[in-house]
Amino acid sequence: MAIVTPGKRPGERVANSKVLGKRFTRAKKVGHASLMLTSLVDMFSIIVIFLLMNFSANGEILYMTKDIKLPSAQHGGQLERAPVISVSADSVTFDGKQIATTEDLQKGDVLNVPELEDVLREERRRYEQIHVNDPEHPFKGLVNVQADRKIPFKVIKRVMFSCNQSGFGNISFAALAKTAGEGKPLAAN
Amino acid sequence: MAGAAAQPAGKGGKKALDAELNLVPFIDLLSCCIAFLLITAVWTQIAGLQVASSGGPPDQQQKLENTIDVKLMLTDKGYALTMAGANIDIPKISRDGAQNFDRKTLSEKLKTLKASLPEQGSITVQPEDAVAYEDLVNAVDTCMGEQLRNVTVAPMN
Repeated sequence: MAIVTPGKRPGERVANSKVLGKRFTRAKKVGHASLMLTSLVDMFSIIVIFLLMNFSANGEILYMTKDIKLPSAQHGGQLERAPVISVSADSVTFDGKQIATTEDLQKGDVLNVPELEDVLREERRRYEQIHVNDPEHPFKGLVNVQADRKIPFKVIKRVMFSCNQSGFGNISFAALAKTAGEGKPLAAN
Repeated sequence: MAGAAAQPAGKGGKKALDAELNLVPFIDLLSCCIAFLLITAVWTQIAGLQVASSGGPPDQQQKLENTIDVKLMLTDKGYALTMAGANIDIPKISRDGAQNFDRKTLSEKLKTLKASLPEQGSITVQPEDAVAYEDLVNAVDTCMGEQLRNVTVAPMN
């Protein structure tokens, strides 16, 4: 049996009738729909204001990766643009390039990481070369360190020592900014 | 291209007072703004805790007369605050079945220190090798919260 649309189904003769057939013809829909422009403009304006309030001219300074879960901090300042050393559970990277494995850094009692020192010295040399005629921007030795919250201090210590040896004495620890009333209570982290 | 188009003259050749806004360029502008702001939006706010590494540049802070050497050690037992020959141990507290550093007590002790020595602005944080990065950041954050802004991180041995 053929599938038909529900509703009244007149016989073929009635449907074709000039007098009676009109009762069974369906009304055609109007071809155009009017947009509610006022509410659309309202919505756009609200979105623009919200996005402008969240806008940050600094952009992304850190490379956020899945395997680095940052701790949170309430009293941190704004991060400055500087070389980034990332320490995840697997690797230590400098500006996205892998320098060493975290496992290697956990072994032994020596403090320095020669590979990291080399790239840091190269970075310093590059900065000083670029700003040789720019006394307003002297080398400040700024470096950002972002590490997973579970990384032991032994690894951080070696990274810090290498930074220090290469002239990067101002280290900024990266953390997720948290407002005072947000998240877990201070009593125990 | 006008922002608002005047309506045609009304009855009797008088100019109509109402003007129609051309919404299309306005919507275009808003759409472009939304697209640009969405692309450049930074959703995670990152904070930076600036510390000095031991052995760093020596001219970072000047030794003031009314300040003392304050050391905060992070051990597996908890915090150990050393200042002017006095040692204050702040043991870990158990919470949710885990032993955690007692930040609240540390904050109170540092507040007392700051009240007695308002010019004190420096502290040395010395964590043990096994201390996690999160605990180090929390300790530095607590110190900075109590206006001890010159934090030096040094290994314990």
